[in-house]
Amino acid sequence: MATSIRLHRMGAKKNPFYRLVVVDSATRRDGKPIEEIGYYDPTKKPHDIKVNEIKALDWLSKGAQPSDTVKSLFSQAGIMEKFHQSKN
Amino acid sequence: MKEIAEKALLFDFYGPLLTDKQGKIWDLYYQRDYSLAEIAEQEGISRQAVHDLIKRTEKILEEYEQKLGLIDRFLHEREKLLLIQSLLDGVTKEDFVRDSAWERQQNINSSIREIITDTLGQEDDSSVLK
Repeated sequence: MATSIRLHRMGAKKNPFYRLVVVDSATRRDGKPIEEIGYYDPTKKPHDIKVNEIKALDWLSKGAQPSDTVKSLFSQAGIMEKFHQSKN
Repeated sequence: MKEIAEKALLFDFYGPLLTDKQGKIWDLYYQRDYSLAEIAEQEGISRQAVHDLIKRTEKILEEYEQKLGLIDRFLHEREKLLLIQSLLDGVTKEDFVRDSAWERQQNINSSIREIITDTLGQEDDSSVLK
């Protein structure tokens, strides 16, 4: 099963808030995420990013593909670096 | 990285003015974080067509903002309201000599907080996704 890690918009209008979710890539729009592994709140200064690092690294090691946006957030949180180190 | 916070506001303010197709592609790309290739596959159109549609939609939304300036006004008001909120948080009963003055202040406080909540959006966790 191909899995992806994506952002998913939540929050009220004018108050964007995103969950970091693991989804089955084949799942269409209304499919439920397999797991939530964090959140991203861009309205805070500085941006508030919270990621469950253990779960994130676990999903990456299982081959889950992060979206470009998630990859960028993971890089900021130092997760991509840890993932690459764990492969060596 | 997609400038998602900025784009989210554009869609919240002017999204209802888009066509169904424009809104759907925008939703998939910016609110559900699908890649161009994934949207192309799902919609049965080329990746380039998805890219063009998103760029065109961005231009439309930005033109609305240039003409109407609702987001600019919202951000300006939000800054002021957050300042008012923090000032209100600092007011205590001890600041008032008479109980009646404190009660009046409480009434004013709750009315202002209602305005702040209405203007800034609810703090609930409900999804705005359709």
